[in-house]
Amino acid sequence: MGELDPYLIPALDGVAYGLLLFVVAAGLVLSFGVAGILNLAHGTLYAIGAYVAAWLADGGWAAVPLALVAGVVAAAAAGTALAGLLTPVRRGDHLTQALLTFGLALAGGSLLVSAFGPDDLPVRVPAALDRPIDLAGHSYAAYRLVFIVVAAVIAVGLYLAVTRTRAGMLVRAAVDDPQMVACLGVNPTRVRVGVLAVSGALAGLAGVLGAPIIGPGPTTAATVLLLSLVVVVLGGLNSVGGTLLAALAVGEIQTLGVALLPTAAPFLLYAAMALILAARAQGLLRRWSTA
Amino acid sequence: MRIQKMTAALIALGLAATGATACGGDSSAASGTLKIGLLASLSGTYQAIGTDIRDGFQLYLNMHGGQLGGHPVELVVADEGDGAPTAVPAATDLVKKHKVVALTGVVGGGSAAAIQPVLGQAKIPFIGSNARPVLKDVTYNWVTSYLSQETGAAIAQYVKDNVKGEVYAIGPDYQGGWDQLQGFTDAFAKAGGKLANDDGKTLFTPFPATKNFTPYFAKIKASGATAVYTFYAGAAAIDFVKQYSQSEVKGLPLYAAGFLTEGGVLNAQGPAARDVYSVLNYSPDLDNAQNREFVAAWKADHDGPPTTYAMASFDAAAVLDKAIGAAGESPTAESINNAIAGLGQIESPRGAWQFSKKTHSPVQKWYLRQVRPDGRALSNTVVGDLATVGE
Repeated sequence: MGELDPYLIPALDGVAYGLLLFVVAAGLVLSFGVAGILNLAHGTLYAIGAYVAAWLADGGWAAVPLALVAGVVAAAAAGTALAGLLTPVRRGDHLTQALLTFGLALAGGSLLVSAFGPDDLPVRVPAALDRPIDLAGHSYAAYRLVFIVVAAVIAVGLYLAVTRTRAGMLVRAAVDDPQMVACLGVNPTRVRVGVLAVSGALAGLAGVLGAPIIGPGPTTAATVLLLSLVVVVLGGLNSVGGTLLAALAVGEIQTLGVALLPTAAPFLLYAAMALILAARAQGLLRRWSTA
Repeated sequence: MRIQKMTAALIALGLAATGATACGGDSSAASGTLKIGLLASLSGTYQAIGTDIRDGFQLYLNMHGGQLGGHPVELVVADEGDGAPTAVPAATDLVKKHKVVALTGVVGGGSAAAIQPVLGQAKIPFIGSNARPVLKDVTYNWVTSYLSQETGAAIAQYVKDNVKGEVYAIGPDYQGGWDQLQGFTDAFAKAGGKLANDDGKTLFTPFPATKNFTPYFAKIKASGATAVYTFYAGAAAIDFVKQYSQSEVKGLPLYAAGFLTEGGVLNAQGPAARDVYSVLNYSPDLDNAQNREFVAAWKADHDGPPTTYAMASFDAAAVLDKAIGAAGESPTAESINNAIAGLGQIESPRGAWQFSKKTHSPVQKWYLRQVRPDGRALSNTVVGDLATVGE
C-alpha cells in the first residue's frame, strides 16, 4: 500500500479525465459510425459548450442548469447546422468532409476568439465544489470527484439508450446496414441530422461539465479533437464499451502513466496507441451490439 | 477501414500546421517622417502578449504627440503569428518594402532568432521588447525586457534564505523553460540550496501538450519538497496554478517566474493564485512618477493594469525617443544604433535601468511580488526588492 500510495490520486484523476474523453468521443463515434461523417469540428462543439459555461457560470448553483441547457442547445444547434452544410457532400466522401469540417473548425475557432477574446477564460464552479477534499490522506479537487459520478451516470445512460431504446436500435441498424434501414422507410437525412444534433449535444454537455478540467481557450478545440480521435482509433467504432475502455485507457496513460514514467510523458500516449494498433487493428472491442 | 481513415485523419491533423496571416499596412510616409516597424503576435497562441506589446508602444506614441526624438513617426505593425514561418516574411516586408529605420517587438525567441539574417543584411537596429535568443553578435540587437536566465537567478538567494528544506523545480520542456529554470537552479545551487527532484535535475513537462499536472504533483509530494519553484506562461500557467491550489501539494509555498501570474492569466486563475510568490522586473503598483503616469494612461483605454510586456514595449519606444533625438538632423539606421549605444540611464515605469555594454539587455532591479486581493480583484503586489541583475 505504501508503495502504491503516491499513485492513488493520479489513478483517480485518470478516471475523471477518461470519462470526460468518453462523453466527447461518444459523440464523434456516433457521427462517424452512424452518419458516416468524419467531423473534425467536433472539438469546436466542445469549445462552444466550454465557452458557454465560462460565460454563464457565476459560482452559484442556479447557473449550473442554465449553463447545461444553454451549452447543450448551442452545441446541438451547431451540430445540426453542420449536418445542413454537409448535405451536398456524398456519404462516404471522407476527404471532402474532413476538409469542410476542418475549415469550419478553424473559422469557428476564430469566431469564438473574436467573441470571447484571446485569453483562456476562467470557469467558476459553485463554492462548495471549488475546494480540495480529503481522500484517504490525500487531497483531490471536489469538482472532479463529483464529475466522475455525473459522467458515470451519463455513460450508463448512453449505454442504455443505445441498447434498450427504439432510437438506439435505429442507430445500431444504421451502422450495420444503412440501405436496409432506408428500405424500411426511415429517412436517412433525418437519421443524419438527428445523429449530428445528438453528437453535438454530447460534445456540448462534455464542454459545460468539463470546462473546469479542460477550460475554454484558443487551443481547446484542437486539444479535445486530437484526444477524442485517439480514443476513437483505439476504441473502434462499433461499441460503447470499446469507446469507454479506450477513453479510460487514454485518461490513465495521461495521468498514471505520466506519474510512473515522467520522462516518457511526451510520447507515452502515441506509443501506447501504436502498440495497441499493432496488436489489434480493430481497436479494443468489436461491436455496438455486444457492448 | 474506417479506423485507418480515422488514423489518417489524426496524422493529417498533426501535420496541418495552422497558418496565420500576415497583415501589413501599405501606406507611404510623409516626408521627414520616420518609419518604425513593430512585429508582434497579433494572432495565434501569443496573441495576448503581442497585443500588449503593440499597445504599449502605441501608448508611448500617443503620450508624445506621435513623435519620437522630435520626428513624426509612422508605426508599421506586422503580425508575427506563431513563429518563424510567419515572422520572417513579415519582417522581410517591413525591412524591404516599408524600409523601416528600426524594428521593435517580437514575442517569440524562435521568431527573434529567425529574423536575424534579414536584420543583419539591412543593418537596422532591433529593439526587442520580449524574447531574446542566444546571439553571437549583438551589435544591432537590443532588448528592453530581460535575459531568460535572469528571472530565476534574481530570486534564488531569496528562496534559499526563506525556505527550510529542499525545493522542487518544475517547468515546461522547451527553450524558454530550460533557460528560465536553469537560471534559477544554477543560482540556487551557488547559494547552497538543494533541489528535491529525484536526481537533482529539474522536471520538464511536455509543452504545450500538458493540460493535467496531477501526476507531477504526486511526484512533488513523494519527493518530500518543502517548496516549489516553477515557470509557466499562458494557458499552461492557468492550468498549473488552478490545479496546484486543489492538489496534494497545495500547502507548499509556490515561487515562480512572474509570468506565471502576469496579465490575463491572473484573472483566469482567480482565487487559486492567491499568495503565489513571483519574481519580475515590473509590477503595476511600483511607486514612481513614470509608473503612475504610465498606469493611468494605460487604464484609460484598457480593462486591467498594464503587464510587463506592455511596459517593455513602452520602454522600447522611450529608448527610440532618446536615441532618435541624439541621432542628428536626419537620423539613419546607423546613427540611431550608435545613439542607442550611447544612452545612459533610462527612466522607466519599472525604475531606472540601462543597457549592458556586453549583452545589450537591461541592467535592472527585480521585484518580489505576491498575489493579493486589491479591492475586488487580485493583483501582483510588490512585497520587496530582489537582486539587481545584469552586467
